[in-house]
Parts: sequence; structure tokens; C-alpha cells
Amino acid sequence: MKLLPPTLRTRTRYLAFEAISQDPLRREDLIRELFSSAGSLLGDVGASECAIRLLAFEGSTGVIRCAHDRTDRTRAVLASISTVKGTRVIIHVLGISGTVRGATIKYLAGVDVFNPKDSHI
Amino acid sequence: MARSGPYDLNVHCIPESGNTIEEVVAVAMRLGYSGIAITNPDTMKQLPLSGNVEGFHILSGVEIRADNASKLHGIVGKYRNKVDIIAVSGGSESINRAAVENPGVDLLLNLNIAQDSGFNHVLAKEASENRVAISFDLGDLIHLKGGSRVQAVTNCRKNLLLIRKYNVPYVLTSNARSCFDMRAPRELAALAALVGMSGEEAMAGLTTIPHSIIARSRPPAGYISEGVQLVYNEADTGNIDEGDC
Repeated sequence: MKLLPPTLRTRTRYLAFEAISQDPLRREDLIRELFSSAGSLLGDVGASECAIRLLAFEGSTGVIRCAHDRTDRTRAVLASISTVKGTRVIIHVLGISGTVRGATIKYLAGVDVFNPKDSHI
Repeated sequence: MARSGPYDLNVHCIPESGNTIEEVVAVAMRLGYSGIAITNPDTMKQLPLSGNVEGFHILSGVEIRADNASKLHGIVGKYRNKVDIIAVSGGSESINRAAVENPGVDLLLNLNIAQDSGFNHVLAKEASENRVAISFDLGDLIHLKGGSRVQAVTNCRKNLLLIRKYNVPYVLTSNARSCFDMRAPRELAALAALVGMSGEEAMAGLTTIPHSIIARSRPPAGYISEGVQLVYNEADTGNIDEGDC
């Protein structure tokens, strides 16, 4: 497959996020919820414009790719996720970067797993 | 005195929701809030954790659910000196009207539920004069599905139009019933963008407007009156000059 010339490639942004939930989530369940949430909030056309894709998800943190001019819409889609396969969840966007490496180094390094039940204030 | 960061002025905890105040505060701190207001319907059962927890501001509040307008003013008077934030759960136009006509009310909530929000240009004018803030309950955009979500978005959009026209104070809230209903400030701003709110407007609804509501209910030391500040104080002659800010 030939690579597209740089000017024709789609421009993307990478959202580093953490999932705050009581029980650990499975990647497949999160993907399913992500697309159903995008579909119901924005419709098929809007979801396609966002071009959301879950790249990495390990433990409670991950990276989502989206179109560079649809970061706000993507945030709204992530905010509208309330449960993943019966588990209550908050998707908290930690930061947005232009590269996967940037998002990982800047926002995901040293993020600890957060569970409201274990927290002490 | 309010801190500089974002506030969520409509959060519920035990017994209204299933989470203790500690869990709710821990989540709010993680999401980047400077403070929250616990607005349970009955303050008598509320846990006595209030004030500041390691740089986090917890405000006491009450959500009033009145059946008729005449009762509402009595309940507001009863709570005014006991709690920081008085929120009225709206619904019918008569309740909404009584709430916006009472300067003791801080917030008017739950305008999205019915088919008609019960908020119009007449009420918007009153709310602007009495500085009663209208709440955009973005939790509805998260939890409602299908037709009722469409209705909620429509109501939010209508209210935004009135708020811009009449310069009504407004806040963005999660209306959280559980600690998992809370969303980070930027996420709430993104949801508000879906109904046509600009980024600056959304940030004002999360920071500066809540700050002014808190400042009004908890006047800082040296507070004189709305819009008045002491600029110059010549102590030896006893001559006090009050300037408009």
C-alpha cells in the first residue's frame, strides 16, 4: 500500500484519558460503548466526521485518536459515556496532543489508578 | 471567599445518592474542581463535613422541591442563613417564576425535564434583575436517551438564547446523583458546546459566575454592597471614600 503524501493525510489529535470506575474495564466493551455513544449523540455522519478510534487501552488509561477539528465533539462523546457493560464509569480526558508519543509522555506517565472507594481525603 | 478554579454547584451525596461525601470530594478533586456545593434536598441528614479539605472548597447547599409557589418563599427564608447555596428545583412555570422573583435564591435547576422548560423572556428578565442563576444541567445530556435527550438539548438551546439576550447569570452543573455522574470541567464545556455555547461562555459558567454567587452568599471581609468597594481609607481624618468598582 502506498502512503499518502503528507498534505493529503488526515490531521489527527490524540486524547490521553483515564477511566474512573469501580471495576476494571475490558477493551472490547469500551470500544463498543464508545461507538454506540458516538452514534447516539452525533449520529452516523457526525461520528464518521470525528473519526474516533481507540488506540491503546491498558489498565485504566488509554489514548483515543480523533479528527483534529473535532476534539470538542469527541470530548462530548466521551463525557456522555456513563456505563460500560453495567459498570459505572467516568472517562476523564487528561490532555490532547498531536502525536501518540506526546500524549503518552506528557499525560499518561505516572498516572496512578484512581478508585473513589479507596481514596482517603 | 471562592478559590480561582472551577466549581460544580449541584452535586448530591448520601442519603440522596449512594456515595459518601468523601468519595464525591475525592472524584471532584481528581477531575480538577476547586470546590463543589452539596445540594441535597434535606440538609438535616447531611454529613457535617464542610469547609476546606486540603485546598478543596466544600459548600453547603439545599435543593428545594416545593409543590407551590407560596410555600417556596417560606422555605427559602428558612434556609437562607443556614446554607451557602440555595437551589430551587424548577418545573412548572409558577415555581420557576417564584424562584426567579426571590433574590434569596441562588440557582434554578432542572429546567430540562418537561417538554417545555417553563422558562421564558419574562422570567429571564426577572432572573437577571434578582441575579438568580439558571443552571444548565448537563447530566441530562449524559443520562437521557432518544427523544427526551433531544428535548433536553432543545430546552438548553432555548435557555441559552434567553440568557444571552437578558444577561442572566448561569452555571454549568453535572447534577450528579452519584460520584460517577460527575464530569471534568472541560468535558462539561464540551457538552455545553453541543447546545451552541462558546468556550468562553462555558468557562464563565464554571468559574467566574459561581465565584460571584459564592461571594454573594459568603461576603468576604470588608464587603460593603454589590458593586461597591473601599478604595481609599484615610484613617487619621476618618474620611472614608467609597468608589464604584
